[in-house]
Amino acid sequence: MSADTPCAKPLPQILPETAGFWEAARRHRFVVQRCTGCGRRQYFPRAVCHHCLSEALAWEEVSGRGVIHSFTIIRQVQHAGFSSDVPYVYAVIDLDEGFRMIANIIRTPPECVRVGLAVKVAFADVTPELTLLQFESA
Amino acid sequence: MSLKGRSAIIGFGETTFAKGRQSGGRSHLKEQCTAARLAIQDAGIAKDEIDGLVAIGPLDHGSSWSMDLAEYLQLRPTFLDTPYFGGAAGNAGILHAAAAIQAGLCRTVLLVGGSVSQPGPPAPYGVEDSVSFERDFDTPFGPMGDNSAYALIKRRYQHEFGAGEEGFAQVVVNARRHAGRFDNALLRAPVTVDDVLHSRLICDPLRMFEIVMPCTGAVALVLTSAERARDARQKPVYLLGGGQAIDRGMWTPAYGRDPSLTTSPIRRSASAAFAMAGVTIADIDCLQLYDCYTITVIIALEDVGCCAKGEGAALVAGTDLTVGGDLPVNTDGGQLGRGQPYGACHFMPVIETARQLMGRAGPLQVAGARFGLAHGNGGAMANQCTLILGNEIP
Repeated sequence: MSADTPCAKPLPQILPETAGFWEAARRHRFVVQRCTGCGRRQYFPRAVCHHCLSEALAWEEVSGRGVIHSFTIIRQVQHAGFSSDVPYVYAVIDLDEGFRMIANIIRTPPECVRVGLAVKVAFADVTPELTLLQFESA
Repeated sequence: MSLKGRSAIIGFGETTFAKGRQSGGRSHLKEQCTAARLAIQDAGIAKDEIDGLVAIGPLDHGSSWSMDLAEYLQLRPTFLDTPYFGGAAGNAGILHAAAAIQAGLCRTVLLVGGSVSQPGPPAPYGVEDSVSFERDFDTPFGPMGDNSAYALIKRRYQHEFGAGEEGFAQVVVNARRHAGRFDNALLRAPVTVDDVLHSRLICDPLRMFEIVMPCTGAVALVLTSAERARDARQKPVYLLGGGQAIDRGMWTPAYGRDPSLTTSPIRRSASAAFAMAGVTIADIDCLQLYDCYTITVIIALEDVGCCAKGEGAALVAGTDLTVGGDLPVNTDGGQLGRGQPYGACHFMPVIETARQLMGRAGPLQVAGARFGLAHGNGGAMANQCTLILGNEIP
């Protein structure tokens, strides 16, 4: 790769079982799956309900609010696509609804990030089809 | 039916570990073949007696490695396995082999792992060939491989238990102290707590000296039936108990069934191993705990039962965990002292346990050691496999 070609970041691929999630994200909505068989919810989206293995899954919007469970500040990248982002915060978020997920904490100075900080979802449009669910200080 | 006392380690071998840039002329196959020869010679058996093969290939090689190594060495095993889930795979391979021996699928199993380390940074995980949920719901956020996964665990541990840095640094000090007296170790220079605390911050709160250095090397061992072991040249080291437990996928630490990043499945794998062996932590003379990072040693000490949850860092800071002390841990220097040859690191805890229990640890011998614990950790503390071994069957 030549120096004048920036390395692209790795992007999610849209699969049949995750398409509804990404379509909602594109419209700046955060949805998870609710099983119409057993009634329970799950994140991340899967082809089956991990509780009862039913394939009857519907989408349901969640609050997008939570707290930081843990985080690290990445100063040295492993994938060149993130070179211009350092230092950036890579975090585990505990959502109010009980799900746990990975995201970056954006629009928040890294030195202000701490375990337990209240955060809310921040939709980051990456391509016309793809919007990532990031988080920022609430 | 239990695996207790039904199989035993009767030999082991290691190639000379080397840093990546000093690995010229070495190859994955050559490393593993050398380790295999040394283990077979050490056991004092003929190559043709090997009828089982457990082989762990280099990180970038597919799951046919045991077949390919069997072809290269012209072995004709009736039991083959390539456990492929990180650092728990070596101990799991021992359990698989022990079960196969007990079931009569084979009698004498060669277990081998190792690889050549390439100079430069490792390839990013989660980009090329990872499972779709890691690729789609983790990798887009720019993790720094294993480092960021373990950084999350250490940060959470320090938050929950108010642990400072001293216990973490002391893990490295102990590792280097042992490594300085162990011939096949690469990081032999002693360090102080201060040196560790002033090493470069890589992925905070992880510092450079808390992270293993990849290197080149291979190790092998021979496991056979307890009946066959009685005639062996070396003092048999019996498998007394084992257990495996997982609570999430390989890397992404977010999706755990168990909500805790700081209580690991070691609780369950160690309980199962102790129950099978019929011994307790008080009977254990030395522990070899998979130490890719300092935090793994601290959580493992807690979860195998050496101290209460949250007291591991204080235990390391306030107790002599070196040979001659109260509770010798990682008596060969571990990976933090020896370097981490991928594939070989999976078997390093069990081989050091065998070395101690055979009484062959030289200046690092734990006097009168009878029972040892060997622990393997895979992924970001996701997959755990614990073994209890003894030079007698209690």
